[in-house]
Amino acid sequence: MKTVLIDCSPKKRMSASGFIASMTDVFLRGKREKEKLRVPADHARILEKVKDADNAVFSMPLYVDGVPSHVLPFLKEAEEYCRENGLHPNVYVIANNGFIEGRQNEPLMRIMENFCDRAGLIWKGGLGIGGGVMMNVMRIMITVFFALMLISLVLSGFGTAPLITFGQQLLSVLLLGCGIIAFDLRLAACINRGKSYGKHYTRIMVPSFVFILFADIFFTVLSVFQGGIFRGWLKAKKPETVSRKQAE
Amino acid sequence: MKLIIHDLGPEAQERLSGKGEQVLYADGKYAPCQGCFKCWTKHPASCGIRDRLQETARVIGQAEDLTVITGNCYGGYSPAIKRLLDRSIGTSTPLSTYRGKQMHHTLRYGKHGKLLVKVYGDVSEKERETWRLTAERNAVNDGFAEQQVLFFATKEEAEAAEA
Repeated sequence: MKTVLIDCSPKKRMSASGFIASMTDVFLRGKREKEKLRVPADHARILEKVKDADNAVFSMPLYVDGVPSHVLPFLKEAEEYCRENGLHPNVYVIANNGFIEGRQNEPLMRIMENFCDRAGLIWKGGLGIGGGVMMNVMRIMITVFFALMLISLVLSGFGTAPLITFGQQLLSVLLLGCGIIAFDLRLAACINRGKSYGKHYTRIMVPSFVFILFADIFFTVLSVFQGGIFRGWLKAKKPETVSRKQAE
Repeated sequence: MKLIIHDLGPEAQERLSGKGEQVLYADGKYAPCQGCFKCWTKHPASCGIRDRLQETARVIGQAEDLTVITGNCYGGYSPAIKRLLDRSIGTSTPLSTYRGKQMHHTLRYGKHGKLLVKVYGDVSEKERETWRLTAERNAVNDGFAEQQVLFFATKEEAEAAEA
């Protein structure tokens, strides 16, 4: 069995979609190949990999209630390619969004299902994740906690206390992502057996008002460092080209 | 002000512009969104990619009513239109709130009137359902008071239809 995992994030680094695809990859059996879909030059290479694949797993962010625009030309090309070559791989989708509710990925799921109908591919379902960006925060936290543990280990003369502290920290971080991990495991089990997964939605395990608070703090800090907060951060800006014409 | 966004072609751009409304022709000759969020955190409501979509968020944000005329792509916007919309999230701010009992970003330009989506081409029944959901979600996300989706067999019919 061969599975091609397609990371559809336009980001070069630190993409939540890429991280979730890698996590799913860990749970899969058989031959796996992970591909990144960012630019048109990626299309032919990915389609070649899909040619003899049993499963194609798309992992992507939700953009404006749908599939990111750079993915759509690939889907059009894939539709034609699969029809011409008589390909019918199973398709699974993992969608993540910046809001807390995983269910907000529903339009994206339906678009991908419609794509399968048009291309003659076998729609096997998908997993919609709310607060997907937190997966990045979680992996950073685990890395920091691990580094701190190593330092503490050396400073404490290799005692057990730093290990216990790290274990507790690791558990608390994993608890935040337990819904995502559990649903992802189930998705991987379905991929391994070629079974339908249906559509499932999950989220980071924090109350929405806490998530909103942390999201606001995150963007505020980022905006301070990048300077946006000093450039009319929340103002209803007018187009500069139009303003210039009016001034003339 | 009413704004029309379409992917009908340059001739349609001339005809639509002649009616006195603001019109954006989505020809697809611009870069897709890179997901950097700098239109929120670095240069508000302006995209870091220096092409003709750089300030589209500001134009869309100021429109009271928005009409989108688009080809069908699996129950969603055509690639050219979607590329333009993805580059326009600066119409909202990075801060979040509840709208329709779900998390959304606060609106930089306040609430809008009507979102009308005119879809042309071959659209299956399942795709029509997807379109209705997409427009509904777009309206909540962008703060439109009402939304409507209409389907047409051809570009010409979509352009000519009054709604």
